[in-house]
Amino acid sequence: MKDVMTEPFLSIEDLVVEYPLSRKAKVHAVSGLTVSVEQGKTLGLVGESGCGKSSAARAVMQLPPPTGGRVTLDGQELTGLKGKALQQARRRFQMIFQDPIASLNPRQTVREILSAPLEIAGEQESPEERDARIIAMLDKVGLNGEQAISRRPHEFSGGQCQRISIARALILRPDLLVCDEAVSALDVSVQAQTLNLLEDLKAEFGLTMLFISHDLAVVKHVSDTVAVMYLGMLCEMADATTIYRKPAHPYTRTLINAVPEPDPDAPRKALELVPGELPSPINPPSGCRFRTRCPMATDLCAAETPQPKELAPGHSVACHHPLI
Amino acid sequence: MGEIILDVVNQRTAFPTKRGMLQAVNGVNLTLERGRTLGVVGESGSGKSVLARSIMGLLPRAAQTGPGSSVHLNGRDLTALSERELRPIRGREVSTVFQDPMTALNPTLTVGAQLIEGLRHHLGMPKRAARARAIELLRSVGLPQPETRVDQFPHQLSGGMRQRVAIAIAISCEPDLLIADEPTTALDVTVQAEILDLLQRQVRERNMAMILITHDMGVVAVRCDDVAVMYAGRIVEQAPVRELFQRTRMPYTAALLSSIPRITDGPHRRLDAIGGRPPDLIHPPAGCAFAPRCKFASDPCQGVMPALEGDERHRFACHTPLQVEAVA
Repeated sequence: MKDVMTEPFLSIEDLVVEYPLSRKAKVHAVSGLTVSVEQGKTLGLVGESGCGKSSAARAVMQLPPPTGGRVTLDGQELTGLKGKALQQARRRFQMIFQDPIASLNPRQTVREILSAPLEIAGEQESPEERDARIIAMLDKVGLNGEQAISRRPHEFSGGQCQRISIARALILRPDLLVCDEAVSALDVSVQAQTLNLLEDLKAEFGLTMLFISHDLAVVKHVSDTVAVMYLGMLCEMADATTIYRKPAHPYTRTLINAVPEPDPDAPRKALELVPGELPSPINPPSGCRFRTRCPMATDLCAAETPQPKELAPGHSVACHHPLI
Repeated sequence: MGEIILDVVNQRTAFPTKRGMLQAVNGVNLTLERGRTLGVVGESGSGKSVLARSIMGLLPRAAQTGPGSSVHLNGRDLTALSERELRPIRGREVSTVFQDPMTALNPTLTVGAQLIEGLRHHLGMPKRAARARAIELLRSVGLPQPETRVDQFPHQLSGGMRQRVAIAIAISCEPDLLIADEPTTALDVTVQAEILDLLQRQVRERNMAMILITHDMGVVAVRCDDVAVMYAGRIVEQAPVRELFQRTRMPYTAALLSSIPRITDGPHRRLDAIGGRPPDLIHPPAGCAFAPRCKFASDPCQGVMPALEGDERHRFACHTPLQVEAVA
């Protein structure tokens, strides 16, 4: 029997996301991802294009529900929920997207944009109460609520639009916030403002976060735990300090070495990557999916899919030849 | 001092908008020597891409340049040339790599056709020789199986491969100056590292000059010789890379550097965000454009535009520059 207190708040078990292309072929976007997040913590999910991080995020949101596996939030299994039950559950988990402008309806006012989640959740309140609630939320994300409420998205900058998206996601006071490349489209100065805001809101609202990004430096700034994905599979997971200091998976090392540091005297590191292209997720390599680019790959890597093993408490790696 | 390839004098570029003229580039002076890479860094709307397009003469018809602006490439003033006279220069003396490799390539032509076109037009190569040269170029930019790829269409290639093709086209006629406008922004970080390696190697081997336009201070730090920081259409600080990072004088540069999340920082470190927003370039402030957001701004900053001053090595436009220790 497991102790109830140690049950993770968000648990993703053996998640599979596949997109059919034809009768025979399908995209293996996520192939058996198991990660969990404790309440009030942030899990950063990193990897390059096609690694399945966005598919995983959407599967958590049940947008659409995954092909296989289980997603459990605070003891409630989200996979399998349908219709009204799913809609009711959704007030507990919300999402912000990459493109701040495209994620807001240009024809709606901010009042309409922020009213939508309240209406869908069936909140009973007078128009005055609703306005007051919207204005308070806009103030919380650093906008002037009184002024912003009757404007439309085109009157705001990209950074301000992202604040409106954050306000929309948080107005129902969710427990889980999923951020999919939420700051990637923003300039560094605006990105810094937005990251600080997310950290403040996380503390104030007691949020648990799933933070998806391709940017390792950004992920390090917001995450407690970091999980690295490659071509639909989990490579490595550890706390945010350990994974950068002592990466155990060769792919994690490559990703870290590839980050250009804003310091001309930082030592230049080799990529440690076999030249070539990312294999297709339609027909991924057998065994370890990174093996075609991995300088340490052996026959074993092609024959057997490495299972995650624990190197230290909280640090697991799926590799036949870990670096530590 | 090396041979000066590019000399931009008082470049001013404005666009008409419904609300009035938008001064995107406002008095930029630049020189670039052969063999050197200049990083032009700035945030959205700082004018870095418009500057690149002004140098190439690739501005929309409505854009207005000058007065008093000139772009000398190899001693010739490009702004005085007609579109017809510019054609043999573009591609041959100056060429560009853009951010999005999909839209930069023609989707209806094979990779080979797009490469061969330039080789035949600019260098007058016969068809067969041009095709052989195209394959050789694709190999030199690290495209796998160039003999097969040469007959493929852009949609059959990955983003990284497309950018390699775009670079092959840009260097095909051995230009003196390569302008790379956010060449890796659309690419993954490992692909970015490979593409930047490739650009750097090509510049060195062919003894070109390169302007690398980016928003990423990390890319600048490891890939450029000199840096020009742009803000609101002007260069606000310019110096060799190490000098700029270690002896930053302009508060905007310093603020930009400290707002970057770094992989070497501890988790949850609070970032030093820059408050406020860049100015409206239709109604720019009279003084320093950064003054409303600057911690060090004083009275003259609001009213008087600081000139880009300093010594030959390190120039900055600021009334209240940060103090650094004198060089021993």
